[in-house]
This record gives sequence, C-alpha cells and structure tokens, in this order.
Amino acid sequence: MLPIVAYTDKLTVAAGETLSVMASSFGARQYRADLRRIIQGDTNPEGPGYRDEAVALDLGGSRPAVAKGFYPGSCVIVPGRGMLADLEDFTLAAAVRPTLLGERERTVMALPGFARIGIEADGRVFAEALGRRLVSGGRIATGTWHVLSLTYSAAQERLSLAVSTDDDAASEDVRPRIVTAEAAPAGYGADEVLIAATRGADGRPAGFFDGKIDRPALFDAAIPHDALRRLLADFAQLSRMRSLRAAWDFSQRMTTQTICDISPFQLHGRIHNAPARAMTGWLWKGQELDWKKRPDLYSAIHFHATDVYDTGWEVDFTFTLPDELKSGVYAVRLVPDGNEDTAYYCVFALRPPRDRPSGNTVAFLFPTCSYLAYANHRLGMDVPGTEIGMGRAVELDRHHMFLQANPGIGLSVYEVHDDESGVFHSSRLRPIVDLQPKVKSFLGGFGSNVWQFNADTHILGWLDAIGQDYDVITDEDLHAEGMRLLGRYRVVITGTHPEYHTRNMIEALQGFTDRGGRLMYLGGNGFYWVVSFNDDMPGIMECRRSEAGIRPWEPGHGQFYHAFTGEYGGLWRRNGRPPNHLCGVGMTSQGFDVCEPYVLSPAARDARAAFVFEGLTPGAKIGDFGLAGGGAAGLEVDRADPAQGTPAHALVLASSTRHTDIYLMTPEDLLDPTPDWSGTQADIIRADLTFFETAGGGAVFSTGSIAWAGSMAWNGYDNEIARITRNVLRRFDDPEAFRMPEAGEEG
Amino acid sequence: MSRYQIDASDLPFAREFLASPIGYHSPGLQRVLNRMRGADWAFKYVLVVEERHARWRLGRLPARRGSAVEIVEGVVYTDLLEAERDIFRRRWRDLTGQDLDIALNSAA
Repeated sequence: MLPIVAYTDKLTVAAGETLSVMASSFGARQYRADLRRIIQGDTNPEGPGYRDEAVALDLGGSRPAVAKGFYPGSCVIVPGRGMLADLEDFTLAAAVRPTLLGERERTVMALPGFARIGIEADGRVFAEALGRRLVSGGRIATGTWHVLSLTYSAAQERLSLAVSTDDDAASEDVRPRIVTAEAAPAGYGADEVLIAATRGADGRPAGFFDGKIDRPALFDAAIPHDALRRLLADFAQLSRMRSLRAAWDFSQRMTTQTICDISPFQLHGRIHNAPARAMTGWLWKGQELDWKKRPDLYSAIHFHATDVYDTGWEVDFTFTLPDELKSGVYAVRLVPDGNEDTAYYCVFALRPPRDRPSGNTVAFLFPTCSYLAYANHRLGMDVPGTEIGMGRAVELDRHHMFLQANPGIGLSVYEVHDDESGVFHSSRLRPIVDLQPKVKSFLGGFGSNVWQFNADTHILGWLDAIGQDYDVITDEDLHAEGMRLLGRYRVVITGTHPEYHTRNMIEALQGFTDRGGRLMYLGGNGFYWVVSFNDDMPGIMECRRSEAGIRPWEPGHGQFYHAFTGEYGGLWRRNGRPPNHLCGVGMTSQGFDVCEPYVLSPAARDARAAFVFEGLTPGAKIGDFGLAGGGAAGLEVDRADPAQGTPAHALVLASSTRHTDIYLMTPEDLLDPTPDWSGTQADIIRADLTFFETAGGGAVFSTGSIAWAGSMAWNGYDNEIARITRNVLRRFDDPEAFRMPEAGEEG
Repeated sequence: MSRYQIDASDLPFAREFLASPIGYHSPGLQRVLNRMRGADWAFKYVLVVEERHARWRLGRLPARRGSAVEIVEGVVYTDLLEAERDIFRRRWRDLTGQDLDIALNSAA
C-alpha cells in the first residue's frame, strides 16, 4: 500500500514563504524528501508519459519515518476552569437523538474521572459516577429524541439515571424510566467536560457519539427529571437558575468553533474535529427551514465518530520556497526507504507573488475546492452502483487499498458517515492520497482512468508542451482575492472538473469575463455546487447538497443552509448563478465508461469562430480519440441551454450526438422520470462545445466535457483537439477586445 | 434486493457481453449487468492494481467500510477486457449456480 503518507500545511504558497510537511509512517522506517515540479501525471503507456522535474533544493537528508496515526471523531471540549471541582449534588442532562448504536459504547457527556452518561452497544443508557454504574432498563431507538439525566443527591446518597423519550403524537406527559442506586458522596469533580466523547486511556477523546446532542447542562443540585425537561426547553429561564453550573447553547456562534455556556460561569468550550453545526434541534418541528431566522431551533450538533478536521501531526520539517522558483504545480516527494516506486507526493500550488503581477497573462485555476470535495473519496468502495456507472469493474489502486485500510483518514463529501448521514465537510489538514500524480481513479473512463488532479495534469502537460508561460492560482486564492487576482490575467484556464465554487469565486469569475477576461473552461460539470469556507477554521470546506443535483445524500430536512456562512446549499443553478450564464453550458449528464467525438455544427463555420479552427481542416467529427474513454466528449457533459442562462449569441460549435445508456439525466432536469432519458435516446444528453463573446470585450470557450483534456494529451499533444485548444488560447491571450455580434449576426 | 433474476433466457446477452465487454450494450444486457454490478451484494469483485495499466489481481471487496479486501489467489489479469469476461463468468456462476461456458455450449 502506502508506506508513508503526508500533507502540507497549505495547498497554495508563494515564493519566499514557508511550507511545513507532516508525515507519518505506515511501514516506512525512514525517508528522504525532494521537491518536484509536476508536468504530467498520467502513467498510461498510450499517453504522453509521466513527467516531473527535480528542483535543486536541499530538503535535508534522511529522516526517520514516525508512525502518527489517525484520530477521527468529533466532540466538544470544555475546560473546567476550576468550576467543576466541588460538585456534591449534581445533575447532568442533555437531549440526544442517536443515529447509530451497536458494537461499542458511546458517550453522550463526560466529566472524565467523575461522571459520565452514554449508551451501551445494545441501546441501553448507562451512567457512571461515584464508583457506581447504572444501566437503564429499556433500549432507546435511533432517530428519536430522548432526554437523559443523571442526578445525585448527597443527602439521600442516591444516584438516579432517568431517560424519557419524545413522542410527538402523545397527549400525555412523557414518563421517564428511572433507575437508582445508593452511593456515598465523594465530594470531588472534574477538570473538564466532554460532550459526545470521553477521555481514552491515552488521553485523547474516545468513545465518540454518533448523532445529535442538544442543550447539555450541568447543575450543582439534583433536579427531578420532569422539572429538567421543562427547564431545558426554556433557555431564558434556565440561565437564571441558581443551581445552574453550565448549559451549552449550541445555537450561539454556530459559524465558529466556539461553544457558548449561557450560565454566569461562562464555561465556554470548543468543538473538536468539526461536527455539523446549525442542525435541527430538540424543539424543531418544521417551524422554519433557515437557521438564520430561528437559530434557537438549530441548537443541535450532529457528531460523528468519523468526523475529521485537523489530523494534527507534528511537523517533520519546514522549508522556504526559493524566490526564483516560477509559479506552477509542485510536490514534496517523500521517498521511503530508498524505494521511489512507493514515493508519496504532497502536491501544492506555487502561486504568483502576492504583492505584484508575475507578468504572465495566462493563469491555470488549480481547483482546490473540487480536489477537497473528492479528497480521499471512496466511490468505488462504498457505493456499489459506481461499477454500473463505470460500465466495468472497479480498479483499486494502492491509495485505494490504503483508504480501505485507514478510514480514519477522513471522508470526502461523496461519502456518508457510518450512521448514513451525509459528510458535509472536507479538510486539507490531512493527507489527501488521491491528490497525487500517477494514481488511477474510478471515474476517469476506460483508458487512463484518471480523475481531478491527475486528469488536470493533461492540461499542465499540454501547457508545458506548447511552451506556454502561466501562473497557477488556486480556488483558495481566488476566494480570498477575487478580481484583484484575476485582473492580472487575460486568460483563465480551468481544470477538467471544476465542480465546486464559493460565492466569492463564482462572482469573481463572472466579474472577470464581464470585464474583458477570457475564460477557457476545459471541463465538464463545472460551477455546479455551492461550497463555503469558514473564517474560524482554515482549510475546511462545507457542502450541503440541497434539493437537486446528482448527489450521494441529502442534508436532512430543515438543514439546507450552510453552517459556515448561512448560505443556501446546493446547486449554483438554484442560487442565481447558473453555470450556463458564466460559461454557456451546464451539467446535463454523466457516464464513466466510454466517450464520444463531437459532431461539428453549422455554427463552426461562423466567422466569429474562425480562429478556433484555424489551420485545421476538420471533418464532420472532432475528437474521436483520447485517453479518457476514447473520445473528447464524455464522463460528465454539459449542454447549452438558454433557459438556464446560456447567452443568446453563444455559438454551439459542435456537440456529441450519442452516448451509452449509462449516461442518464440529472435529477434537476428529470422532473418526470420516463425510460427514454438515456444516452442512446435523448438529445439533451450531449456535450456542447460553446463559444461566446462578452460585452466587456471578453470571451468564453467551454468544452462541456471532462474528457476533453484526455484527448488533448493524445498522440503527444499533437492532434486536432490540442490544436483547437491552442488556437483558442492564442486568440484569448491577444489583448484585442472581442466584439459582441450585432443583431442578426448571431450564429 | 434486486427484482431481476438472471436465468437461461439471458444467455444471448452473455454472448453479447463476451463479444464486447465495454461500451454500447443492448437493453437486455444492460439489465443483466445492472443485476451483477448493483447494490445487492455481500462482496464485490474488484481489480486490485498490481502494476498500473499492466497487471491486476482479482479481489473481493466486502460491503463493510474498512474491511480487508480479499485477494483471490492465483488470479492475475494482464488485459482488462479478459478481466471483465472472467468476472462476468464468476458472477454468472454466483447468481445462477451454472457454469456459463457449459450453459452456452448446451444452448448452442
């Protein structure tokens, strides 16, 4: 598998800045690091061949490879600040809605060393305190809210565990199940409170809870369960209670890592490993669907034993990127035990200087949001239907075997957690084993079968082959600097599958083309999903797949708004920024078996597009070859559609005219499912090669196909698809303004 | 649980697959493949890459995340189309209890 894996503290860095490398051994004894510029990562013998280039930079000699491991699981950690040390009488309480039980004990709330409430593997609630362990008689169910409480009265020397279960349809008060035991007072407390976990023997959080927890609270009195239920339902009253030691209102500061205590002690805490916030709580009954309007109803956090934010490995080494190094895609290569065949590549972008233009007029937009969305994805392992979509057996490369053996590395937003709820978050503060050159994938089509980063190296390799100077800017750079950064360039080139965008990014790209910029969208299914960054958590991204789109899960009722920003999650098409408006085409279908050529349309002869085919005498079809499925049109394909915002003057130069029946419609277009919406039957399933000018003198060229770049790389980049792409780049890099067609001039 | 069950009436589709494992398929063959490749499985045949684009071993992937991939001893492929044909034959046996080649010969 992979004897060593690693990550860097950033995916984008400028010359003169530092980069830290965190590595862990998974069998390696030692390693050496060097710096490589990545030119072309696909190892397909029918392709142009793998190429990277050593950078003369000493990254130190041999280093020991230290095993560091993965520690997934989210919780809340609250330092006691001396306020938990004198608990004689006490009550611990919380509303919980477990989503996964079985196999092991799960902790709801712990004052480590003092008291704990949790759920046993068989679904019975347990509590521990004062040397006693109480176990509730009945089993609780997943998917239902329960209020749990543990009380101790020193005067009565009685420890009580109470469990009550909500029943929306019941007319009667809920009746708690109560178990009690005698226990002598111990007169001590704890140093901290953990919610959704406790401390393991190694001092790390452990015993993670899967499910929602709402309004956990701690009192220095024994509160009867019925009174407790009333109090927990009323934070305003609760905060005035003299016996309240702490009560955590998760609906406060939901966009941050901070957890707020509403008691006067202000025992505030922090989340660990980024559980899902802004989640419907105990009192949510559908009253409101936007957490910003009724945050009080969104007082739950959904915790998962599989959540990961920051792997947190110690730094192995830090180095400075040399000033003279040109912008590009690089990797810190770690060679374990002298075996280059098992080297690990930490890929990153060396961006242009922050304070001045580099002088290059062409930028490659390194789609880190899309890389993050797919980071460590397990589609071929966790989703049985992937094989149907591929039209052939799943290939498991070495990094897939590593993922299968190490699920603790954290999931992508294509997976569900172990409780079947969707993964909203993906972080770059962990190894991303599929963000490497050479690796094969699941969805890249028959042939090279490369995806995202490695497929994008077909474009990087082509830029190198034609001798084009360019800068590499990342989605994170674009999000942070917007048009200030894009304004340095005449041309922005996308990757093969730039699917995920923040609002800042999509607005900046639209602003760029509106102001004369030229966009070469060399991919498919671009500009599709809304994602958000978090100002309080660098390196993590949120995606809630609301309403439509081809998606592996839904966020759950009432949970369509992102916690990080309050934005409505889902498709940009439903958020006023349809991809067709930006680039002329929008996602229409997908299939991962074979690809097709484009058939030229009459618009290809339009004088406005003459530059596209300059020097070529194309036949009726173009791109009947390629490393991705054997054609330039396929994998994920976009169509021009005026109803979705394609400009009226856009020229559809060519289209694919058939696909296999693995290609089906997207849910957002398939309003009424009938069996004729498939690749051999429906005209709407096609890739449209599209060009249009913008009023500001800019222009857009869109391939509407992920497979396009696989054809660019065919025959050593010497083919009509590469030539067309080069023609477009040459004209787009010419400062002469594009002119909008006059009325009647439209193709 | 898949509703569609493969039986001898699917033998023409098996012939179609063996002739052309990847690409355009008849609706009948696609239905057979959906049954073989879909969600109804306790394990899944996968190709474990031993050497990219050159050499694969046959593996059985359990449905449970994180469980070990079981390598089927002695099965190595150097051609992806041959791998597809072999996996098809194995699934035919798994789902019908019949050896596909014998069934094809006796149906011929």
